[in-house]
Amino acid sequence: MKKEEFVQELRQKLSGIPQSDIEERVSYYCEMIDDRMEDGLSEEEAVAAIGSVDDVVAQIMSEIPLSKLVKHRATKERKWNAGMIVLLVLGFPLWFSLLIAFFAVLLSLYITLWSIVISFYAVVLALALTALVSLPAALIFLSTGKPAGSVLCIGAGMFCAGLAILFFLLSTAMTKGIIFLTAKLLLGIKHLVVGKEAA
Amino acid sequence: MDIQLKRGLLDVCVLAAIKNEDSYGYRIIKDMKPYLELSESTLYTILKRLETARMLEVHTVEHEGRLRKYYHITPAGVQRIEEFKTDWEEIRSIYRFITREEA
Repeated sequence: MKKEEFVQELRQKLSGIPQSDIEERVSYYCEMIDDRMEDGLSEEEAVAAIGSVDDVVAQIMSEIPLSKLVKHRATKERKWNAGMIVLLVLGFPLWFSLLIAFFAVLLSLYITLWSIVISFYAVVLALALTALVSLPAALIFLSTGKPAGSVLCIGAGMFCAGLAILFFLLSTAMTKGIIFLTAKLLLGIKHLVVGKEAA
Repeated sequence: MDIQLKRGLLDVCVLAAIKNEDSYGYRIIKDMKPYLELSESTLYTILKRLETARMLEVHTVEHEGRLRKYYHITPAGVQRIEEFKTDWEEIRSIYRFITREEA
């Protein structure tokens, strides 16, 4: 790929972010390509060394705060006419409630995800407690002359301890997964905000 | 490596790369290459972060008919490197504690 194509594609895929940010990034990558070429690389090699445009765009997107993207979109559309403003004002009860609903859904999604994690840890805690308590219970059975009950308690305790460990491993794996998922979700929302711009 | 640890380490590495004389993006990457691989995008983030923290200053210089950005370390940046050195002594003693049993 030539430098010109790289820059053009980068500009196009970044079209949703503020213009000053685009220019800064583009000049940064241009300088890198020029310096590589000065160092003896061919134009194609110099561009290839930067990586794919999509990778570059993905990293840029993940670094720009969501609030900045939303603000940029909100302030960019200046082509308001009287009719649109009237519609906007009249439609306020509709779009405002939809906006609230959108964020409420997001919030509930978050809460649901974390509730699952919390419930798993609660199970771990319950199992661990049961395992712990079964020990004194076994002793009580033993002291009252019921060895069969004591053995049962010890067995149940060990079973619960095993399950607790298993669930703990499962829970930590799930927490990691959900943290990864929420990061993806945020990136998805950013693309939603920016995506319409490019279309 | 732990992300937080690596981030702090990279900041100091970039500061060290411009400590003795002002440098530009590609040269920073090239100078660091024998020690660690740094992508252009990652470097951009670090430079931005250090600029916001006023640990470096940017100035543009004309070079071969085009513009090139040079990065200059500020006293705050030099201080950050010094802080890192004292931090590192602490980490070294913690490391000795961690590996004590293995000896």
